[in-house]
Amino acid sequence: MTDYAIQAEGVELVYDDGTRAVDGIDLRVPNGEFFGFLGPNGAGKTTTIKTLVTLLHPTGGSITVNGYDVVGESRAVRETVGYMAQETSVDPELTARENVSFACQAYGVPRSERRERIEELLDLVDLADVADKRADEFSGGMKKRLDAATALVHRPPLVFLDEPTTGLDPSARNRLWDYFRRINDRGTTIFLTTQYLEEADQLCDRIGVIDDGSIVASDSPAALKREVGGEILDVELEDGTTASERAARIAREAGIFADASVSETDAGIAVTSPEARSRGTDLLVALRDAGLTVTGFNVRAPTLDDVFLAITGRTTDEERGGSIAGEATTDGPDDVTTTGGGTER
Amino acid sequence: MSGETDGDATPRRERTGGNTFLGDVLVNARRWGLKATRNRFFLVGTLVQPIVFFVLFTQVFGQVATGALDSGSGGINYETFLLPAIAMQVSLASAAGSGIGLVNDVESGMFEKVLVSPMSRTAVFVGKSAAEIVLIVIQILLILGLGVLLGAKIQTGIAGALGVALVGILFSVWFTAYSNVLAVVTRDQESTILGANLLQFPLLFVSSAFLPLDAMPGWIQTIAAFNPVTYGADAARALVLGRDVMQVIEVTAFGGMWDTIVPAVAVLIVVDVVLGALAVTMLHRASRAAV
Repeated sequence: MTDYAIQAEGVELVYDDGTRAVDGIDLRVPNGEFFGFLGPNGAGKTTTIKTLVTLLHPTGGSITVNGYDVVGESRAVRETVGYMAQETSVDPELTARENVSFACQAYGVPRSERRERIEELLDLVDLADVADKRADEFSGGMKKRLDAATALVHRPPLVFLDEPTTGLDPSARNRLWDYFRRINDRGTTIFLTTQYLEEADQLCDRIGVIDDGSIVASDSPAALKREVGGEILDVELEDGTTASERAARIAREAGIFADASVSETDAGIAVTSPEARSRGTDLLVALRDAGLTVTGFNVRAPTLDDVFLAITGRTTDEERGGSIAGEATTDGPDDVTTTGGGTER
Repeated sequence: MSGETDGDATPRRERTGGNTFLGDVLVNARRWGLKATRNRFFLVGTLVQPIVFFVLFTQVFGQVATGALDSGSGGINYETFLLPAIAMQVSLASAAGSGIGLVNDVESGMFEKVLVSPMSRTAVFVGKSAAEIVLIVIQILLILGLGVLLGAKIQTGIAGALGVALVGILFSVWFTAYSNVLAVVTRDQESTILGANLLQFPLLFVSSAFLPLDAMPGWIQTIAAFNPVTYGADAARALVLGRDVMQVIEVTAFGGMWDTIVPAVAVLIVVDVVLGALAVTMLHRASRAAV
């Protein structure tokens, strides 16, 4: 018998104004798994996670978390999960230690264990040195780590992380990743949402891709990449678009690859094929014979960016538009639950 | 780490159990108490303005006001007349801060963090209110002490001062509720401060707080009868003077100062319940919408 941390069937969430933020999601996450929930802004990630942690009531379907029903047994669910919201949530007027201590008290950690638990968690997130500094003096990355520590005070077997690294610089992000891996290694199930494909690729055992409120693909990162259909040969060419057009035609029509999809890129062309590695040289020779100048080439394994493109027909960048820069942004439909018209919560 | 299988298809994880209701109340009261000590500017600020009012009013209007008092309340100095009203002003200023605390919590994400914890949601708000009440009592007792040093006289002594603090608590509830409604509606710190201050001063002036009502024009007397500040100020003043001071409702059934305190407290309770219910409903809705 498989032991599931999350079992969700036909979950729907329709907001009062009729927006279908989540539209029939089925989900099973076994205990101990590092599960990634991947999708562009506005796809329904945050709404789904808020439904799983009992902050929103599903308007359809059933959800069991840690064996408890999210609607009927919401308190039991709250006792057994940790949740790190997309927006960093710490009390800026309290010190790091006081923040963790408040969380301990809120979750009913016995007084006798509290002191040890606080030190252990501050140590885990490398904030022991600044434990008595107020949180409003912290950098974004430090606040995130403090937030993460407060989500773990009750040693929950299941932790929800909603876009935990959005808006952080690469070194802060790496540090958090390390930390999440450590928690997962201790046996904690992790449900992570992200719009960074690299993040899901680095961390997750399994990935669900969500688009427009429903799951469009679900598998291990490696299996998802296999679905792209082979490896990718990127070719860079001299003088831009006219050269790309000719090169793409040659790649498609010269009979070099039995099975390939060819696309034009900014710098040249990209050929996706199981034979990208073995027949790549033939293409380069054909291009040279046609009088084109190859300025660079590279054969690589597909990334989740390619997966996303293959599944949804769009790149994640297109969907994100300009809104990703800088601070964390909320998923589009979630704004509906906050006060009308506000762009931030 | 792993849960027990008790015949169910899905094993249930062991629950942590959380706290009792009272435990949850204490946890939250402690956090807000701690935050209050961190926020010294607010603590001092809510005291400074009433103190400035007290000193300026007694110095600037003292001579004139004593004349007005002779016709109505007779035989007391303006310091004594004003002090109970200033105590209510302290209560009002502190209550205005309640909504600001809520907005800050929403903005810092702490509101949601608390909602997702196993704590009772009612206990969360009771705990925050408890911390605010303790603060109001301390501030009122401080201002009464200062007033006495500056020449006011509390006829009923320590018991009367404690009575004023109790009236101050009762008086703070409706404005706390109003400030929290503003917070839920605007979700914005500036708007909440502005909305609370906008009402605070007209309410104080169009009431029996600073002068006896019979010394003021008829229209002010009419509005004052519907202004909760009149009832707070009258109840506190009756306690400080030890006699009936109420002019908006004539009651003679209880004798002496109780002819003011009983009806005033009754009015305050009604206003508290109405606005409190509105605030609780809106907070409840806000928690369900989960920000």
